[in-house]
Amino acid sequence: MNIIDTGAAQEAFALLFSQPQYWLVVIPGIIIGLFFGATPGLQTSMAMAIFLPMTLYMDFLQAMLFLTAIFTGGGFGAGVPAILMNIPGTSSAIATAFDGYPMAKQGKHNEALGLALGSSTFGVLLGYVLLFFLIKPMSMFVLKLGPSEMFIVILWGLTLIASLTGDHVIKGLIAGLFGLLVGTVGFSEAGVMRGTMDFELLADGIPAIPAMMGMFAASELFKLVKSEFLVEDENKRKVRISQILDGFKQAFQYPVILIRGSIIGVLIGAVPGVGSSVSNLLSYIETKRRDKDPESYGKGNPKGVVASEAANSTSEAGSMATLLALGIPGGGATAVMLAAFAMHNITGGPQFIREEMDIVYAIIFANFGQVFLLIILGLLLIPLLASIIKVKMTYLVPSVLVLAVCGAFGLTGNMSGPITVLVFSMIGWIFRRYNFSVPAAVIGMLLGSMAESSLVQTLQISGGDFSYVLERPITLVIMALLLFSLFGAKLIKRFTKTA
Amino acid sequence: MKFFTKERLANSIVILCLATFVLWYAFDAHRASNSLDNMILILPVAAITLCLCIYDFFLGANNTKEKKQKQESIATVMPVMILFSLYVLTLEYVGFDVGTVLFIALFLFFHGETKWMWIAGYSLVFGLLIAYFFSLMLPYPMPMLIFPTDY
Repeated sequence: MNIIDTGAAQEAFALLFSQPQYWLVVIPGIIIGLFFGATPGLQTSMAMAIFLPMTLYMDFLQAMLFLTAIFTGGGFGAGVPAILMNIPGTSSAIATAFDGYPMAKQGKHNEALGLALGSSTFGVLLGYVLLFFLIKPMSMFVLKLGPSEMFIVILWGLTLIASLTGDHVIKGLIAGLFGLLVGTVGFSEAGVMRGTMDFELLADGIPAIPAMMGMFAASELFKLVKSEFLVEDENKRKVRISQILDGFKQAFQYPVILIRGSIIGVLIGAVPGVGSSVSNLLSYIETKRRDKDPESYGKGNPKGVVASEAANSTSEAGSMATLLALGIPGGGATAVMLAAFAMHNITGGPQFIREEMDIVYAIIFANFGQVFLLIILGLLLIPLLASIIKVKMTYLVPSVLVLAVCGAFGLTGNMSGPITVLVFSMIGWIFRRYNFSVPAAVIGMLLGSMAESSLVQTLQISGGDFSYVLERPITLVIMALLLFSLFGAKLIKRFTKTA
Repeated sequence: MKFFTKERLANSIVILCLATFVLWYAFDAHRASNSLDNMILILPVAAITLCLCIYDFFLGANNTKEKKQKQESIATVMPVMILFSLYVLTLEYVGFDVGTVLFIALFLFFHGETKWMWIAGYSLVFGLLIAYFFSLMLPYPMPMLIFPTDY
């Protein structure tokens, strides 16, 4: 099988540079994405949906460039509030907050934002390079994935709970398992309501992102209410382009973390329904587990930011692979893109790949260009965004709480969002005060319903016979990788010691 | 080590609350349906969580290295929580526009901002701007008192 169609690649180049208007939509697209990503509660998919009608006036390629530019900008933008306010605006930026926010509190906000920009741009670039070479084999790989494989991937994500417990292991595990149970509230796979106390608003479950905003951000703000500034030292509050650039360059000092995160991102990103929400966690776990000093994670280790941002930005390319090659949207953003496909009377899938390879390559090449535009626009806009650090806490606390509440309403479309923020801000504060790990609880909550549905689907497909798993080679390979990542290093160490 | 310290008592209450929630949730799920599909994840997770809660309740204090951390006082946090609760729970009645302006103004007032011009100016400009921006951007109506809405 020829993995690259050189003729189509040449046509794609010619097509991209035939009309300047293809590139004119990219800059506004990235700015819209950055803006929506950086505003807690406004999702990239929401931006794409709002601006979708505009693509009616564009041809298909221009529409795709505009939408992927929003996607790219939003991917980086979501990391900004995670670093500066401890609000991971989307589930894909959870792991960014683990070390990004402690860095900001230490006055290293410039470096943290630079690191995020460097890793994000590298991730997008490598993701699309991989997509260029692997779009056909990847689409075949995704077709072979079933619920049992997804369950093992989710299980891998859940192992992060154990590594986020800090000094209080038992309490950390209780928090993670509590989150896991909370994540299953609402309608079950069996079609019954659990834990809703007959509140209709809870039928779809507890909204995960508002709960995350409450536990991470609001509970932290309650704690900081008496501080004058987020960073006490006045000298450290300055926004310096030179430090942002240092952070940007520093990201490339960790090539292994960048590449590992990108590969995890592109592979997990291609799995529909899982995507960047899990990839950033997996990349973070692996980086932490392999590091000589795992204790430094969660306290402002730059490698944590790099691992998370490299994976979540690469997931974009992974989800594009599934969309283009199979016509399956992996998440909200690609679902909007699928709507754009329909608006232009185009159907994604093997036939599209076969007949319109030049368009597919043009989208990929345009994303290479978008990376450089993102660097320029990111460097121009970061100083503005980072100025938040100079705002007095008296003003910052109510402003961020208001943003979280409005954003939560935006996510749910009813009052269940703001009420979830309120309830979980209190739970989060109690958890912090009594040393129950908040990140572990949030991860449990996010992965709870995913784990349950993939487990139930596996049970239904296998008819209750778990030897079915043994007949799935990919499940066994992922399981072996999981076990190796958990115990491999220890076994090798023990083996080399005894030898 | 003293068993009944104030901190330990509070910790035990938190553990008891969590265990109560886990028990209630497991029973509620079982009441809804005792099928394997419904209980496949909840039952084992609830059982493990309860075991861990029991362990922490009775033995946790002996195994935890107590660290004296600088913690904010409850008296500092409670007024903020009450104000935030009032803001969220009254939003449906006073709307995002008026509710947000009032919340910011009251927060600034209670946290030592003495310049009335700043309080009024910031709460009005930021509050109304945010409320208007979200109402413009979101595809569904928001509760509002001044701005037009279909809520």
